[in-house]
Amino acid sequence: MESPLHHFEVHTIIPIHIAGLDLSINNAVVAMWVGLAIVAGSFMLAVSRGISPIPGKLQSILEISLEFIRSMVYEFIGEDEGKKYVPFIASLFLFILACNLIGLIPGSYTITSQLAVTGAFAVGIFILTLVIGFGKHGMHFLGILVPPGVPKIMIPLMVPIEIISMLARPISLAVRLFANMTAGHTVLAVLFGLAMTGPLWLGWLPFGFTIVINGLEIAIAFIQAYIFTTLTCVYIGDVIKLH
Amino acid sequence: MSNNNGFRQGMQIAFRLGTELTVATFIGAMLGYGVDRFFDVRPWGLAIGVVLGGAAGSMNVYRAAMLMTLEEQNTEEDDNNS
Repeated sequence: MESPLHHFEVHTIIPIHIAGLDLSINNAVVAMWVGLAIVAGSFMLAVSRGISPIPGKLQSILEISLEFIRSMVYEFIGEDEGKKYVPFIASLFLFILACNLIGLIPGSYTITSQLAVTGAFAVGIFILTLVIGFGKHGMHFLGILVPPGVPKIMIPLMVPIEIISMLARPISLAVRLFANMTAGHTVLAVLFGLAMTGPLWLGWLPFGFTIVINGLEIAIAFIQAYIFTTLTCVYIGDVIKLH
Repeated sequence: MSNNNGFRQGMQIAFRLGTELTVATFIGAMLGYGVDRFFDVRPWGLAIGVVLGGAAGSMNVYRAAMLMTLEEQNTEEDDNNS
């Protein structure tokens, strides 16, 4: 029987080695490209068909999703400041959602189940918040390490705690998405393995569970994309407002 | 929509608070371990790091929970107004 972790393996499809760097095209890269193509393609299709005041099916879906993301950004960052982050947050949300959903198609690859991918997102967001914070407040940004209303004696204790909690943010962001996707897909693989190896009179039971859990995984794909982007908004909002 | 909203928020709380505490403690422990290795003060770095990490994790959870109660109050007020 196959290992339930088999479908997380990365296979090289087109090997490319340039100056000692492994730039090979593998199944993870292809899954990522498909995700990008779906997100970019659906928007291009909607625009090339012409934006009409009475939206068609595709246009209404895209409008609702953008509307939803924009209200989320305005809620956590604020309307004036949030405007310029809407495109970034929208791309992030739609790309993660597309990758999560692609992974649910049997035989495809879940790119968000790789810690390297979610980690790259999270570290990028962490650096972005630092850049925004220092750009906006200059050296006053370091004041984020001292919460308001803290007595002076407590400051030497609070600063290390705040540094740890700042560093924990990108890691919890990355680990949450990675762990949820990996766990869900492993459960699916184990149940499917049970269904395939068991006799027919028993095998239908785990097979039924895979169908139910697939439904749950669709919900989790949405929820995880939502949590990831909400927390990105919260972190950006925190460094802009500085308490 | 409001029904769906409640489900979404519940799931958000469930997924968020669990990792927050664990990861902060882990980071504190790792930083403490690093301090031990660099300054050769074993075992104090690790001991203090875990405690500070736990404190940071509790604070993150507390802040997240405060944010959620604020949101809840806002939505309740909205409901009352409308």
